Amino acid sequence: MSKIKILIVDDELIMRESLAGWLERDGHAVQTAASGEEALEKVKESQFDIFLVDIKMEGMSGLDVLRSVKESDPDADVVMITAYGSIPSAIEAMKDGAYDYMLKPFDPNELGVLIEKIIQHQEQARENIYLKEQYKERTRFESMIGQSAPMQKIFNLICDVAPMDSTVLITGETGTGKGLAAKAIHTNSSHRNGPFVTVNCGAIPEHLMETELFGHQKGAFTDAKETKKGRLELAHGGTLFLDEIGEISMRMQIDLLRVLEDRVFYRVGGTQPIEADFRVIAATNRNLEQAIKAGAFREDLFYRLNVISFQMPSLIQHKEDIPLLAEHFLYRFAQEMNKVADKISREAMDEMMLYDWPGNIRELENAIERAVVVGKQREILPEDLPIFCHEPTALKRGNSLKEVEKAHILQVLTDNKWNIARCAKILGIDRSTLYSKIKRYNINKVA
Amino acid sequence: MTPQPAHNIIISPIGDVTPDLLDPIRGEIKRIYGYPTEVLALLDDIEFAFHPNRNQYHSTPVLEQLARNAPADAIKVLAIVEVDLFIPILTHVYGEAQLGGKACIVSTVRLNEGHSYLNTQEPFLSRIVKEAIHELGHTFKLRHCREHTCLMHYCRDESDVDRKSDQLCRYCRVLLEDEIKRMQKL
Repeated sequence: MSKIKILIVDDELIMRESLAGWLERDGHAVQTAASGEEALEKVKESQFDIFLVDIKMEGMSGLDVLRSVKESDPDADVVMITAYGSIPSAIEAMKDGAYDYMLKPFDPNELGVLIEKIIQHQEQARENIYLKEQYKERTRFESMIGQSAPMQKIFNLICDVAPMDSTVLITGETGTGKGLAAKAIHTNSSHRNGPFVTVNCGAIPEHLMETELFGHQKGAFTDAKETKKGRLELAHGGTLFLDEIGEISMRMQIDLLRVLEDRVFYRVGGTQPIEADFRVIAATNRNLEQAIKAGAFREDLFYRLNVISFQMPSLIQHKEDIPLLAEHFLYRFAQEMNKVADKISREAMDEMMLYDWPGNIRELENAIERAVVVGKQREILPEDLPIFCHEPTALKRGNSLKEVEKAHILQVLTDNKWNIARCAKILGIDRSTLYSKIKRYNINKVA
Repeated sequence: MTPQPAHNIIISPIGDVTPDLLDPIRGEIKRIYGYPTEVLALLDDIEFAFHPNRNQYHSTPVLEQLARNAPADAIKVLAIVEVDLFIPILTHVYGEAQLGGKACIVSTVRLNEGHSYLNTQEPFLSRIVKEAIHELGHTFKLRHCREHTCLMHYCRDESDVDRKSDQLCRYCRVLLEDEIKRMQKL
């Protein structure tokens, strides 16, 4: 775990030194400033987790330092140091956002307890921000499943790779479980207690990508009303998973390369360097070497990402895992939907084993979900599976891809009584994409 | 660990510190750090560090004076006092050390339930020995350790001191060996 950075602001040398010496023995990275002005200069140069600020100082007061620090970083925790005579000022500081105040001289026990409390509070706050984001995206993290030799090889590889701090590049077709592999690496690594932060590079519009990744400083642009932490900052102490890295713009490739090389970054509009303390795992379904040749992907970034790489097998390469995977999804969706469905008929399983699954595990997952939704019996039958129940018109040879897509969307909508959320899930797209496709194909609800 | 025998760790008692206390500390220093010890009074008193308004002694200038008075072949100096110590920002300290430096100091007062006389009965004796070894650890660049049983764990009160063992954890042992190797190369 990285060191906690503490800035002590006190105009008395002896106080600064005795406190700095004490905190350094606890393994913290401590800096000191003899005045409020010097403190604000240091804040411009680097980021601090905790500020210990004396209220009464010559020149700029501790309260002014508190306000300036909170203005530039609302998440910074500031502890005011005060003497008995200044308690009213300490109370004022609490109203202005100070974390706590301490009467000097402190009891050494109280100081240790307070610092530990702040560290725990900060770790929890970072995790909470990310969990909220994760909930919004409805990201699902499941453990990986597979008895086949290719999957066992992947598990062994993950065990070997996880303890290293090196960057990992996971390649493989869409739906093969690259995200689950990344999560498995994270949970087996030394970063496991930190957050696992996903950036879906293909899903975030380019104009939002910069602020999404790096965050922004209040006032950086017209809409930046508050300072916002980016995904890189939220990944502090954990793992940053860059999904669909092949879709990232050239501009962002340059920015990302700089972060990976310098291990520091800046919020948009910020001047203070932030340490990039996270492990990077990237994934793509594109052939990046071809993209380099085509001039669509930077070679230097590729080599930065491609320190350790492996390819997830497509489902057709480990077909023997289909029964295990199908039963796992059946159990999960039956529970989620509160339905009694606990068996897959032999015929349905045979059909699944014969099918090629171009959409890989995700297609299988969606197929089982649909089967649980539309199935009328306790047992999943072949006709419950979407791969065998398309309208014949949609699958006729000679139909364009658009026509097939339109027919399939219509079928799913009809089967699910136009429940958009459910249909989007079955189709493996988000709701806004589904709405735009309904509009584009002029699909109408038939009464 | 085979430190060069020419280098000693000096134990500098200040006040009436008896062999009942010094002998166990010397034994533990030899066991943990591998260096021979020498008992040598480097300071007659520490009145220069007394603060009448706090009725306590400021440990930092004592460390500076100890480091200045230490013989050239002494690698570290451990002072043992029977008075209450403080650093300006804290109400009191069990001891203080120069992190990676030469001198450290331990006070028996707070480990003896606030009494300024020396008590070499258990558990007080073990507490003083553990904290002396702990402060000396800081001079070998060891920082506070999260492991509750490690000698380098920071203790909030006497019960914490009683709970920790008389050993360094595996992690601190490795760091200590690294530091001793580094010192031997100098």
